[in-house]
Amino acid sequence: MDEDDFREEIEAHLRIAADERIADGVDREAARLAALKEFGNVALTTEAVRRVWTPRWVEFLRDLAGDVRYAVRSLAKNPAFAATVVGVLTLGIALNAGVFTMLKAIAVSPIAGVDRSARLASVFRETSGGRAVALTYDDYKEVRDRDRAFSGLMATSVATVGLGRERASRSLFAELVSGNYFEVLGVRAEQGRTLLPSDEIAAGAHPVVVISDGLWRRDFAADPRIVGTTIDVNHYPMTIVGVADPAFHGTTVVYDVELFIPVLMAPQLGFVSVPLDAHGFLRPEITIANASAQADALWAALAPKRPIADTTEHLRVVSFWRTPDGAPMILLPTLTVLSAMGLLVLMVACANIAGLVLVRGVSRRGEIGLRLALGATRARIVRLLVVENLVLALPAAVLGVWLAARGVPLLAGYAESLAAPRRVFFNVDVDRIVMAFSVIVACGSALVFGFVPALQSSRVDLVSVVNEISPRGAGRGRLRSTLVVAQVAVSLLLLVGAGLVTRSLDAARHTYPGFDASHVGAVTIDVKQNGYDPAHGQVMYRHVLDALRGESGVDAASFAAFDPVAFLATPARQVQVDGYVPRRDEDLACLWNSVGSDYFRTLSIPVAAGRPFDDRDAANAAPVAMVNTTFARRFWGETPRAIGKRIRVAGGEWRTVVGVAADIKYIRINESPRPYVYLPFEQAYRSEMVLYAHGSAPADVVVEKMRARVAALDPELPIATARPLADHMKGALMLFDLMATMLFLFGGAGMALSALGTYGLVSYTVSQSTHEIGIRMALGASGASIVGAFLARGLRLGAVGAAIGVASALAAARLLGSALFGVSATDPASYARALAIIIGCVATATIVPAWRAGRTNPLAALRHQ
Amino acid sequence: MTLRSTRPDARTDLLHGTLDMLILRTLVWGPQHGYAIGQTIRAQSSDVLQVEAGSLYPALQRLAKKGWIASKWGLTGANQRAKFYRLTPEGKKQLAREESRWSELVEAIGRVITAKPVE
Repeated sequence: MDEDDFREEIEAHLRIAADERIADGVDREAARLAALKEFGNVALTTEAVRRVWTPRWVEFLRDLAGDVRYAVRSLAKNPAFAATVVGVLTLGIALNAGVFTMLKAIAVSPIAGVDRSARLASVFRETSGGRAVALTYDDYKEVRDRDRAFSGLMATSVATVGLGRERASRSLFAELVSGNYFEVLGVRAEQGRTLLPSDEIAAGAHPVVVISDGLWRRDFAADPRIVGTTIDVNHYPMTIVGVADPAFHGTTVVYDVELFIPVLMAPQLGFVSVPLDAHGFLRPEITIANASAQADALWAALAPKRPIADTTEHLRVVSFWRTPDGAPMILLPTLTVLSAMGLLVLMVACANIAGLVLVRGVSRRGEIGLRLALGATRARIVRLLVVENLVLALPAAVLGVWLAARGVPLLAGYAESLAAPRRVFFNVDVDRIVMAFSVIVACGSALVFGFVPALQSSRVDLVSVVNEISPRGAGRGRLRSTLVVAQVAVSLLLLVGAGLVTRSLDAARHTYPGFDASHVGAVTIDVKQNGYDPAHGQVMYRHVLDALRGESGVDAASFAAFDPVAFLATPARQVQVDGYVPRRDEDLACLWNSVGSDYFRTLSIPVAAGRPFDDRDAANAAPVAMVNTTFARRFWGETPRAIGKRIRVAGGEWRTVVGVAADIKYIRINESPRPYVYLPFEQAYRSEMVLYAHGSAPADVVVEKMRARVAALDPELPIATARPLADHMKGALMLFDLMATMLFLFGGAGMALSALGTYGLVSYTVSQSTHEIGIRMALGASGASIVGAFLARGLRLGAVGAAIGVASALAAARLLGSALFGVSATDPASYARALAIIIGCVATATIVPAWRAGRTNPLAALRHQ
Repeated sequence: MTLRSTRPDARTDLLHGTLDMLILRTLVWGPQHGYAIGQTIRAQSSDVLQVEAGSLYPALQRLAKKGWIASKWGLTGANQRAKFYRLTPEGKKQLAREESRWSELVEAIGRVITAKPVE
């Protein structure tokens, strides 16, 4: 609207009106005043005219700004309330932001530095038994060259390699990658170039490598002339052609990959087989199911060309996060439980705040009544109260994100320390996505905890407010009680969950895994990292073993390809059992290990029948194997009957079973018994082995002795890891540990919140009943009876909440499923403990205000109103 | 027409609508400025309807926004500068609609008021 034009119009109006009066004979000044009087309020009229032209949303925003200003002012008058609400909500949001950050790392951006990485799809082979098998290089090339579903398909294999010569040499994570790896991921080079399809032409012809930004800065002091430098990888000279983008840490989700090597260089670096994971982005119009069908059709068509046609195998395409044995699949169950728990804490927080808002609403009845009396609509008042809650929610969101941003790195740091000296990387950046999530959660909570109380508060009876009658709203009291009951119930649920998981962790720590990890040192080396071929590797390992056994204080020493309780899945091999005809399409595969002589004595694993491997089982001796008890029972019924039977592993030669070892935990502490096969190291060479030595000295000392012995034999051989076996066990229990810690945190937070809520409610009831207490005491009631009455009321609510909590915990505990170990979901001790804690909390929260009530001076109380 | 509206602003709608109709009606005899519109309505209703400036000017703006009237600065008979409002063709159609609605309403109310009790 043109304001000047309108002012002019009003002036003209007044002039004409005045002139008319002057013409009637009125005095000039009097006429002007009369015209003005007749016109009325000029400012209001201007405002009304302006409003005609303002769009609705501008008006809405203007009102909103007014509401916000008002809310801030009225909250500033009650800083204790504001601080409590912001504090409680911050806690709830921080926990959820933390869990969400971890979940985001899997679901939204699993690969740091790669755009839309959640949309990557992965290709793998699957046997009829549902066992995933990695692709070979030939498989990959066939699929890549013929498949039309992917806009590009790269392949990668994570491995550890040795970097450098002489004493500075160390072991780090590398990926052996296809030439189009960087191109498909869209990762650029910070220095020099990335690897290119031209680095995947001829076997052994591409001695080039791209290093990570981290390696560049740590090991090469960010040397700007790094490109063209030659480094030794597994004792093979490779030229650095580039440094990858700083945000990129490889595609393994967890490992911090520092070297990217062309896959065709694998033999030069001593790799015998390279199991490949293939990932790529699908073309826009292709779905996962679509791609899977195409890939499988391709696979079937190519079947005749493969050396051993295995028609029971299928090619499958899945979303990246569902890659078999990938970190996301391992972490997902834990994170799901944590997310659920996080939401429960948020619920407690909301119930808690709703209680506070409700109480505050009651004390604001005067103000609200006045607004209603002045003509405000209920909708307008509800809006004002909701805005007030949003004003509280936003700072809580910011603080919550801040808290999460500080807390999550602590957690990641802890996980990193468990993995040391291996470098791991967690993409747990608290970024814009987390921020947006937190703001949404905060606003959502504000609506939840603010809306119902706001509705209640706006339903004010004008007459009673004006007459200053104190509230007798039974309904409102019921809502408050409901809130306390809800808080107690949800807290109990959290506490039971925390208790069950803590007891699981306890049980897992104390469960005997089938071997004795105490006094055992574990040192991992990979002899190909210093250029050993299998023949020289065999000799080297024999020397290492002799040296270890010669060490004073070491009473047994051996080695194995895989640690027990490995945590990450170890490869399975196909097995044939002499005399057993597998069902059609049966996928007979089991985990295996290559172990040295004395392995079973070193780890104190009992041999149930037959004999353990010894020096007789040399490379050129008769092929032998050992199985575990479960294997023996499964195929031959009785343990001793296994001796002398024959099995074949991965299509190799027939081996005679010479012994049966007792079951141990192979991958997870909570796994059920599974068949397992042992092969003697001399007949099943692997370049990377874990050395074990058992001694009477503390494990740390044993580890140092082992390290020194290995270094004495070959100073240039990098030592990948060196730690007591017991420490490795700790790492394997990491998920239990993480879950227990987080649940403990969540349970504690929920408990504190519901204690606070109960305290608030009881104090409020007490303060509302001052008058009543005064009368009772004046009539002779004792302080103790008053305390008793309030305590009874508080405990009654607590008991109802606890009962609901127990019922829902019984229903929900089964969902914890995989996280539980050694305790049943209905473990009475966990329930009893949670009940004791929660009832104790409620009692304490009740006694304090009730005790204050009991000391009320009757006279003062009666004068209260 | 319906009076059964449950919207809270139905009452104001009715008043607005009536004032709008009166303004449009006044402009049928030719362009007028704001003061004159108010005076005309007052005179023609024998001083019963007094339109305050606080209602008149927002109503004029409302009608202008809807395109039913248009405005232009000009000179009054007494050679005073004033803003003159005139009816647009769209406004004429609107007036016809409003008038027929109004007479229906009046007729209906009249029938109710003069109705004889049913024996």
